Amino acid sequence: MRNLGKKILLPILALSMLLSLSACGSKTGDTGDQESKSPVESSQANNDREEPLVITLSGGDCGYPSPYLHYSRGPGSFKMRLVFDSLLEHGEEGLIPWLAEDYNISEDGLTYTFKIREGVKWHDGEEMSPEDVLFSFEYQTANPPVGGISTALGKENNIITDMTIDGNNFIVTLSQKSAAMLNNLGSVRIIPKHIWENVENPKEFTDEVCGIGCGPYMITEYNKEQGTYKFEAFKDYWGQNQEVDVIQFVPVSDGILAFDSGEIDLTGITPDVYEKYAHSDEYKIINNPGFWGYKMGFNLEKAPALQDINVRKAIAYAINRTDLIDKVARGAAILPGEGYIPQQSVWYNKNVKAYEFDPEKAKDLLDGKTYDFKLTISSSNDEVRMAELIKLNLADVGINITVESVDSKTRDSMYKNGEYQLILNGYGGWGGDPELLLSQYAYGAIPGYSNEQINKLCDEQLLETDQAKRMKIVYELQNVIADEVPQLPLYNTTGMSVYRPAKYDGWTYMFDHHETTHPKISYLAEK
Amino acid sequence: MRIFRKRIPEYLITLFAIITLNFFIPRIMPGDPFTFVSSEENSVSTVYTDEEVARLKAYYGLDKPLPEQYLNYLGNTLRGDFGYSIYFNDTVLNLVGGRIVYTLPIAISSLLLSCLLGCLIGCMSAYKRSGIFDRVSYALITIFSQIPSFLIGVFFLFFLAGKLGWFPLSGAMKAFATYESGFEKLRDILYHAFLPVLTLTLAHIGEFYLLSRNSMISVLSKDYIVTARAKGLLKKRVLYVHALKNAMLPIITRLCMSLGTIFGGAVLIENVFNYPGLGTLMRQAITYRDYTLIQGIFLFFAFTVLVMNMIADIIYGKLDPRVEL
Repeated sequence: MRNLGKKILLPILALSMLLSLSACGSKTGDTGDQESKSPVESSQANNDREEPLVITLSGGDCGYPSPYLHYSRGPGSFKMRLVFDSLLEHGEEGLIPWLAEDYNISEDGLTYTFKIREGVKWHDGEEMSPEDVLFSFEYQTANPPVGGISTALGKENNIITDMTIDGNNFIVTLSQKSAAMLNNLGSVRIIPKHIWENVENPKEFTDEVCGIGCGPYMITEYNKEQGTYKFEAFKDYWGQNQEVDVIQFVPVSDGILAFDSGEIDLTGITPDVYEKYAHSDEYKIINNPGFWGYKMGFNLEKAPALQDINVRKAIAYAINRTDLIDKVARGAAILPGEGYIPQQSVWYNKNVKAYEFDPEKAKDLLDGKTYDFKLTISSSNDEVRMAELIKLNLADVGINITVESVDSKTRDSMYKNGEYQLILNGYGGWGGDPELLLSQYAYGAIPGYSNEQINKLCDEQLLETDQAKRMKIVYELQNVIADEVPQLPLYNTTGMSVYRPAKYDGWTYMFDHHETTHPKISYLAEK
Repeated sequence: MRIFRKRIPEYLITLFAIITLNFFIPRIMPGDPFTFVSSEENSVSTVYTDEEVARLKAYYGLDKPLPEQYLNYLGNTLRGDFGYSIYFNDTVLNLVGGRIVYTLPIAISSLLLSCLLGCLIGCMSAYKRSGIFDRVSYALITIFSQIPSFLIGVFFLFFLAGKLGWFPLSGAMKAFATYESGFEKLRDILYHAFLPVLTLTLAHIGEFYLLSRNSMISVLSKDYIVTARAKGLLKKRVLYVHALKNAMLPIITRLCMSLGTIFGGAVLIENVFNYPGLGTLMRQAITYRDYTLIQGIFLFFAFTVLVMNMIADIIYGKLDPRVEL
């Protein structure tokens, strides 16, 4: 008996010890770059500072920072962009020349010529050439990366008739004009031909050289299980000095606790703790632009009553969105643009009509009739709270809501398949190119809804390459959308971030994105 | 061995049923791995067009009819090919392997700890049955084992780690740490694992306590114990040598059988402490409908539990000749 106990217990103990030891071993294995340098070495490029500047941020695993390996959700794509550059970059005001030092669009809007910068080095020391650019476009069109490739570049809707290089120029010819094309072409990641040309299945190409780009930072340490990243400044970078020498991402369970203890150098905060940091010179608080938002989707097929424009308008009047902002977002949000484009977007039409909270008007519009709808939401706290408030608001005007709460992935698939009457959905990217109005409103994007004028304007703005003229069309489009209420934007969140300016004060935003740790320009000398 | 001839077919049938369920359950859930229309607050996700979704489905073989997919999956699994994760862009084997090294140590050490402590207190309780120690420990342990383990975990996280700062808030190791010695590394790992192990141990101490207490009580009333006492042997010797040895039978079996429940507990606890084990991975796999990874993780859990059950069967047969297998 005693012997048998020993026989069983000993191997189990030995096994568990062995396993904990191998847990130690796996930590060092996952480094990304062969040419990893110590932080001290890389800071030599930065002569004005003695100590290398190391910024630590909240991390978590979002995949290896390579165009084919990062995850499709979360900040993985932005980590990848620290390592991989593109022809154009998103600056504070708009697109800025990057790997293309200059570009030119022909008068008919059909030929794009990018002048490729010379003297750009890959992280492995090889020279970047226009060949690499052409290769990147061809390779990624054939094998779309995780972030997808714009539909305009994809095989199915291809309007590109030719891509070629001529000396230092990369020339793209189109079969029709497209206002979104410059941004789409400018965003494609440039990858080194000498590494990728023989890779047949990029999704399963996990060799560490897949993390070699020509961007300002090299990936030098990555641990999938721990969710840690270390990016170090690339000392042969062609462009502006990197202000930050090392960017580290570490896993954090509570951002504010970690920020207070100095574990991380920047964190998002809620209005509840605003006061704590607002009155001290030690901290600086910045506001994120409201490019993330919630909307309520209408399904005119499953709920035919919504085909009556007055019902849709009544819902817009009946929901107290200011109240939602106060109670659900706790003040950290702004009212949306009624024409979908958020208030802080460069494309926002200030004169678009607004539906202020007005239950009386809603009742007038409903004309004494009552309605029953089912509202589908995900089980997230915010959506549940929002649904409760909306239910109360709508009950006041005679619309009864049954709330159906499902897990977020189920909600997503119900949304996609049109299996709902009313639905709540929260997502980012509202600040992007007005191209997005097409996928939000036109040609059956909203089940059972079709509006000739919206379709026409959506097409027109996409064909108009003159910025001012396009702006005019987009303004008009917002007016029509606001008037029609084919779906109802609820609010755009404006989170705050706090940091210590004494440590680093270079945080900034891209013109179309809501987060300050994502843009690479946040870490570079000139913005 | 007779037991193998009889039991192995049963285990194989169970395993087959589990593999089949593993395949169908994720696919019955609404949604697929590529449809994202929402994103977490202040974050973004790639929204694929219909063409891209179709292309991705074809790439992963998800466009084929279910029976065909199922046969492929069966064949691959038998060949030891567990597939390639859709979301995490790595082989399921790598992903699961990378996490087991965190989950197994905390699961096994808390299993052994709860067994050891449970038995110790259980024996003491039984020896002085209805005494103060027995009553207090009985009440306390019964209450503790009724509290859901994640609640205990959340309490520890907020109080011991957050408020008092005695323990780290998350993770299994200090990020980017360079250790001077293996001992220092071990200390860091133990330091991070302490709260998860403590929580799991507390959650499982009850079953071993009750089991050993009951088993001990019945053994202590046996004639040979009376004889041993009458011989004037030391109390400790009677308790831990004569009695415990005979009371061990159900406890050892339970130890093997408990691995399944302790895995279940670990899944919750890891998520509370953001511990990078299989539990956190499983939650993500389900959120993202990563079919192949869900299959891989479930299969691993199921296989381990089956093996432990088999070991329990064997031990029981050896320890107790009366059991006809």
